[in-house]
Amino acid sequence: MNTPEVPLFRAAMAVVRRDLLAEWRTRIAVNALFLFAFAVLVLVGYAVGPTRLAPEDRPTVNAVLLWIVIFFSAMTGLSRVFVKEEEAGTASALRLAAPPPAILLGKYLVNILLLFAVMAFIVPLFLVLTSFEIKCPSLFIVLLVFGGLGLAGASTFTAALVSKAAAKGALFAVLSIPLLLPPLIAAVSGTQVAARETSFAAGLDFVRVLVAYDGVVTTAAFALFDAVWRE
Amino acid sequence: MRLVAEGLSRSFGTRKVIGPLSFSLENGRVLGVAGENGSGKTTLLRVLAGLIRPSSGRVVFEEDGMSLAPRDASHALGWFAPDLALDGALTAAENLDFFAAVRGLRPDKGAAERWLAGVGLDPRRVADVPLRALSTGQRQRVKLAYATLHDPGVLLLDEPGANLDEAGRAVVQKVVASQRSRGIAIIASNDLRDLALADERLALS
Repeated sequence: MNTPEVPLFRAAMAVVRRDLLAEWRTRIAVNALFLFAFAVLVLVGYAVGPTRLAPEDRPTVNAVLLWIVIFFSAMTGLSRVFVKEEEAGTASALRLAAPPPAILLGKYLVNILLLFAVMAFIVPLFLVLTSFEIKCPSLFIVLLVFGGLGLAGASTFTAALVSKAAAKGALFAVLSIPLLLPPLIAAVSGTQVAARETSFAAGLDFVRVLVAYDGVVTTAAFALFDAVWRE
Repeated sequence: MRLVAEGLSRSFGTRKVIGPLSFSLENGRVLGVAGENGSGKTTLLRVLAGLIRPSSGRVVFEEDGMSLAPRDASHALGWFAPDLALDGALTAAENLDFFAAVRGLRPDKGAAERWLAGVGLDPRRVADVPLRALSTGQRQRVKLAYATLHDPGVLLLDEPGANLDEAGRAVVQKVVASQRSRGIAIIASNDLRDLALADERLALS
């Protein structure tokens, strides 16, 4: 019996192409992500605005608000990568045909693309609406990248975990919140530093925490996914 | 290729659905699995495909001195079932190209058209139509193409003739005949026309 070698990256890219094509035609996750983000941004802009916070409070409050918007946008749309497979009945066909690591990598990449697209929409608007001044943009961007990777990675794995459950939405939030608290705390704290300090080194510890978190989550996800996906 | 099932059973909670069953199949043989609704035909096929684990017993696929469990032999398995679904937002060809890619195949540009023609679909007529807009019978044929595009050594067909017209049933006959020359086929059905394609029968109760 010749067991064919399936190149991991090629199979993962096939998953990415297929999911993005289906998303482009249905726009279900994109609509959920962007509409939620837009609604929350309008509310935040109206409630907080550029002038309603004392200047010394802005770094603290705005950093928390920014990551709350990003976090809940992620919760709104990122679970769909696996949930839609179970709901549409396509999971079994995928399970039988594609190697599990390729599925996980493909879904992870799709969620990274979706989250980074929504972050590219949220972050500039948030900065403008709240007059949130960032003194160290390089630190801020690095925090957004590694924070986003952590959110996408943990959300992807949690989505696989809850996809067969009856109350998927509730379970996704319940499992994701404790899992995502460590990177969120690091991202919020780092963003506060980026708003107050001009030095990248001042926020380096928070970047380290995010990089370590991303590494642990990615490794754990690949180690556990086979059992989660097939059982 | 040889399929061996030994003491196979599957329960859901305290309810035993199948087994214990033991059987083996050699290359070129077609097994028909008969039984009333709820007798465990679909469960048996899902266990053989590795989609669910047996509660006891084992299934192995043997070839060239190698012996593999279903989950390690998915490259050699084709599965067709009423509850199998492909992506409704994609066209039939896009679905087949996707599954070929994740199976590690490198099909040429016209491969999807040949697979569709092989199950009696006109590739031009379904070219720009999302799968969800096709008729049930047309989707059944696309699912047959999904199950066979990688020339599997073992083909598991659950109610293959359901929702198909006479031309569709002829396609099923052709698929089973082609599978006979390549490996093993197992057909689960309570339709006598499907079961007539089999060499031997296993009755579930």
